[in-house]
Amino acid sequence: MTEHTLNVAVIVKLEPDFTEGNVSYNSDGTLNRAETKSILGPHSAVASNAAFYAKVRYGARVAVTTMGPPIAEQALQQAQLLCNAEELHLYSDRIFAGADTLATAEVLKQGISKLDGGKADIVFSGHRASDGETGQTGPQTAWKLGFTFLGNVIHYDIDLRNRTVRAKRLISLQGFYDVVEEVEAPLPVFIAIDPSYKASFHTVSQRLAFEKYQKEAKGRAQNYKQYLKVFNAQQLGADPKLVGLPGSPTIVYKVERIPKAKASRKADVIDGSDREALRKVASKMYEVLEGMVIK
Amino acid sequence: MSEKYQHLYVVIEHDDGKLVPVSLEMLGEARRLMDGFNKKYKADEKVVAVVLGYNAKKMCDELIFFGADAVIYADSPELLHSRNLVDTKVVSSIAKDRELAGKFADASQFIKPRYMFFAADSIGRHLSSTVLAELESGLASDINKLVVEDLEIRHEHKTKGQAMKYEKTLEMYRPDFSGFLWTTILCLDNRNPAIAREYHPQACSIIPGVFAPIECDTSRRGIVVDYQPTFDERDLRVKIIDRKIVKSAVDFDSHKAIVSFGRGVKDAPEQNIRLVTELGEQLEAEIGISLPISKKPFTVGESISNLYMIPDRVIGTSGRKVEPLLYVAAGISGAMQHIAGMKESGFVVAINPDENSPIKDECDVFIKGRMEEVIPLLLEELRKQKPAIEVKK
Repeated sequence: MTEHTLNVAVIVKLEPDFTEGNVSYNSDGTLNRAETKSILGPHSAVASNAAFYAKVRYGARVAVTTMGPPIAEQALQQAQLLCNAEELHLYSDRIFAGADTLATAEVLKQGISKLDGGKADIVFSGHRASDGETGQTGPQTAWKLGFTFLGNVIHYDIDLRNRTVRAKRLISLQGFYDVVEEVEAPLPVFIAIDPSYKASFHTVSQRLAFEKYQKEAKGRAQNYKQYLKVFNAQQLGADPKLVGLPGSPTIVYKVERIPKAKASRKADVIDGSDREALRKVASKMYEVLEGMVIK
Repeated sequence: MSEKYQHLYVVIEHDDGKLVPVSLEMLGEARRLMDGFNKKYKADEKVVAVVLGYNAKKMCDELIFFGADAVIYADSPELLHSRNLVDTKVVSSIAKDRELAGKFADASQFIKPRYMFFAADSIGRHLSSTVLAELESGLASDINKLVVEDLEIRHEHKTKGQAMKYEKTLEMYRPDFSGFLWTTILCLDNRNPAIAREYHPQACSIIPGVFAPIECDTSRRGIVVDYQPTFDERDLRVKIIDRKIVKSAVDFDSHKAIVSFGRGVKDAPEQNIRLVTELGEQLEAEIGISLPISKKPFTVGESISNLYMIPDRVIGTSGRKVEPLLYVAAGISGAMQHIAGMKESGFVVAINPDENSPIKDECDVFIKGRMEEVIPLLLEELRKQKPAIEVKK
């Protein structure tokens, strides 16, 4: 096995494909899960790109991991195409089903401790899943692993000699302003990558490495099965009491339609082709904005 | 009477001593919830604000005026700015500290708080996750309604299929990604003997801008408790090198008008988004989007995608709450979660072909039609009238 400078893992998720044309909604506006296909979640894709940066810049070894039913291996394959992973992990067992974020984090912690490359130096996750949207699984996995958690990361670089990471984080203080914070921390770290993260490669050698790995990734993803390892609960050494429904402190008690609020305004309905009405709307708009009445 | 799990702890956020609005909103809801709780159960459980910082003490009075019965503050130069690792250690130590709880109530049996609130923002979302991983209990995110109830639960795992009564259970309501459904999350002890385990606190993160603060009452009195945090080197391994305040790329606040678009652009996304931005330019408006757009549901050029189809532009419960003088909703159906973000706007114009869309009940003018047809005509009218306005100025 080649010596790698860095050992990196990415946590991804197979999510409903919200792309127009692929997503299907019921007449009441809710997602039609049966008709909607699944793909690698968009935030998982950003996390995969961040891992690929570690490969191109630092020659990192990359593993992609996910928990889910057997079909979730599709997400691993799609992520492998993005980050040229050496190893794909699927944590799949009936008893994992219905897990909340804490019980999911328990499985991911067990899995990430079993990388071929040894202990991870960096674990990446996306900002949050497009369907669950909690953003909790990443930080909870980090805490269980005992890794320093860095969230909302928009840029990072590694100092290989000192084994430290320097990262920029984007913090929105609602009602105030945003803060870009630069932090430094020793490895290992867990990085939840911000949606606005974009890897950039400046030098010729980086671009060459980028192209080489991208080409290699295509080949690997075509034969992804040979990189794939599937673990059940027993193989992970997961305590059945800490995973799946039994290990979830929370339950979904009920799901209901959000009641339609009482109409708060009474609308003038006008026809979109009625020139005269549109003229009045336009002048009303200026009136509202400029405090002027146009006769 | 002391119980194992008592009180509602609210984790406060501030920037260098200035309280972030959601902190007061959480306290307001905590106050209302615990007033109801104490009345219903003839109890005397407290709203406890937990605040970390450097010179944190100066915030304590304000927290009491806005609803806290007690404030636990941790003061140290190491806590000047929020860092997940050290904050997690301090907040979870405070939550487990019986002696601290004893400063404001009988705590002889105290183990952990009954309930806990965090803000669902860049800091609180992650802090709540790590604190609850440390406290090994349940957490619900992005909550916008809370109720305390005695519930009869029958659950395959929690109760082994038996009906059991769970008293004083916090019902935590969260809108789902579509904005149409409300999911109620409960954090429940496992009473099934095979997996028996107690899960407290019942915790959640709260969407900023949802709950109202109570009115500031300077005559309110409370108990201020000083917590002396201790750190080891490992707790401090993240160093803040630099901190820059930046204006967010999207600026809703200094624009008089906002033009937003939703899935209604779908027939010709690229063209329609251009139309929307043209309308925005004409009205000198900032551009907003509905939540589904942030999931990049269309293939459009990268520049349009990266400029417009981003979470920062989302208006609604999972984005920003705005109050412009003029709000134009183009191709937005009006899911509850979007309405919550724009309903305080001055004058609202909706452009939509479907008269049954919920947005119709939230606008002043409903222009029935497809945006590809309506916006060009509207632009024409706006352009015709613009010179008149310039002259009057």
